[in-house]
Amino acid sequence: MSRLVVSNLSINRAELPVVTSVDLVAESGAISVVLGANGAGKTTLLEGLSGIIPVAGGTIAIDGRELQKARPGARSREGLAHVEQGRTVFRQLTTEENLRVSLHPGADIAEAYALFPELVQRRAVKASLLSGGEQQMLVIARALLTRPKVLLIDEMSAGLAPVIVTRLMTAVRKLADDGLAVVLVEQFAALALSIGNRAYVMRRGRVVHDGDCARLRQSPDELHRLYLGGAESAVPA
Amino acid sequence: MNALLTSAVAGLTAGGTYALLGVCAVFTYRLVAVVNFTGAAIGTAGTFVLIALFEAGFPIWPSVLAGIAAGTATGVAVGYVMTRWFGEASASTKAAVTVALLVGLIAVGLRLTGGQHPHNMPELFPGSAFRLAGVEVTIASVLTIGLAVLFTILSDLFLNRTKIGLNLRALADRPMAAELLGVRVQLLSLLVWGMTGAFTTFALMIIAPQRSPNFMTLSLLVVPALAAALIGVFRSFWWTLAGGIALGIVEGLASSIDSVSQYRSAIPFLVVLAVLLWSQREARWDEAR
Ligand SMILES: Nc1ncnc2c1ncn2[C@@H]1O[C@H](COP(=O)(O)OP(=O)(O)OP(=O)(O)O)[C@@H](O)[C@H]1O
Ligand SMILES: [Mg+2]
Repeated sequence: MSRLVVSNLSINRAELPVVTSVDLVAESGAISVVLGANGAGKTTLLEGLSGIIPVAGGTIAIDGRELQKARPGARSREGLAHVEQGRTVFRQLTTEENLRVSLHPGADIAEAYALFPELVQRRAVKASLLSGGEQQMLVIARALLTRPKVLLIDEMSAGLAPVIVTRLMTAVRKLADDGLAVVLVEQFAALALSIGNRAYVMRRGRVVHDGDCARLRQSPDELHRLYLGGAESAVPA
Repeated sequence: MNALLTSAVAGLTAGGTYALLGVCAVFTYRLVAVVNFTGAAIGTAGTFVLIALFEAGFPIWPSVLAGIAAGTATGVAVGYVMTRWFGEASASTKAAVTVALLVGLIAVGLRLTGGQHPHNMPELFPGSAFRLAGVEVTIASVLTIGLAVLFTILSDLFLNRTKIGLNLRALADRPMAAELLGVRVQLLSLLVWGMTGAFTTFALMIIAPQRSPNFMTLSLLVVPALAAALIGVFRSFWWTLAGGIALGIVEGLASSIDSVSQYRSAIPFLVVLAVLLWSQREARWDEAR
């Protein structure tokens, strides 16, 4: 059983506060969904968690071990994996080479192929030549081979066909059921809420709602109000 | 005819050195994304440790090893500065920083080695290896070219066959994604700087007796080296290798023709200019990056 606890986290970008006093929890077996309009600070939050950008204040802990000062590589070795926005495959490497880069000594590449059998016949293909869906599968599988305790996923469904999105969502639900703690940042609110457990809604860098996914799914008006708040963009599908 | 051949062959040692320095520049660029102007200066630092020890009466081969160790350490030090403080900088900023470091290294180097004061550089590999059409081919030239070929083949094997090589390729492709997966990015970068430092030091030790061994002249061998790297568009090891050797041969030929010999050090510059103009026309520069 693992637990990511984020308390009072603040992150600045170009000297301006972009994430302010965020509290968030992710636990083994559960998916914490983070929703919010464009520019709400979701990506910044995940980048602060994984160490891509420094945090201005607050704490990040996995099972009580504080990580907010560690470099990204050290956080990875402590069990934090981050699937970035934009499918960051190693373009010049083949599918299998991508997987070998992250291969933890206790892990086996077969686990990745078991989760996404689609990748097997693409194993010798350069990752830059994979389809968007295959690339997304590859970066998720690659993150899993580091044997993480906590998996952060940013906008995995962006630009993909609905059938692929459903496929990916099912896979992520299975990962959580197998014991992973997942933080899922999504634009597809309805689908994410249907597989998630705990829901957070961000607006202008703050968490404006923290509750149950099922409850939020049943009240679209509430979600709409949370997204909009003032005069920001409309709620996506 | 024989005179021409003699001077062409005489350019081979220089060509081998340019090739090796050029291949190291491509290696550094491809793996840690730095156009490194300090390459030759790093090797020069190691070479002068050898000279100092030799002049102080130490036996030659232990001094060579100490010099290579010093060159490796200098490479790691420069690499540390580049990864620690300029890791996130743009390619042009990084290149500018290495120019600044080059100026600094030359200043310190000249100060420590007594400026233009002549030094007694031992010839590590005197004599000729074989005769080619009646012309002596020196061991030094065979060695530098051999070393350049060896470095090219080894880097190829290393990058494509080993786990560290795989991690290095991932690092070159997307440094942050690699770091997020727990790849020891800084350590690997320093490894690249150390490896190129060791190889360039050895190459400079071989060529130093043929040049006036002062810190500035040797450090500025980076110019033909980068010209060679440019011939390989900072991508192809084999084109860089061929380009470096060709540069040396052309330089050798030029030195035998009285009317152009005094301009022969401008040859790398002309090559750089030609390659840049050509690449602009073909717009291949961006694609190569
Ligand atoms: N590199 C940067 N420098 C300065 N400001 C930035 C930078 N990146 C993002 N921002 C700003 O930070 C805010 C939050 O951006 P972020 O990318 O975290 O939002 P997001 O919720 O992930 O949005 P999206 O749904 O579009 O991905 C935005 O106002 C954005 O303009
Ligand atoms: Mg985002």
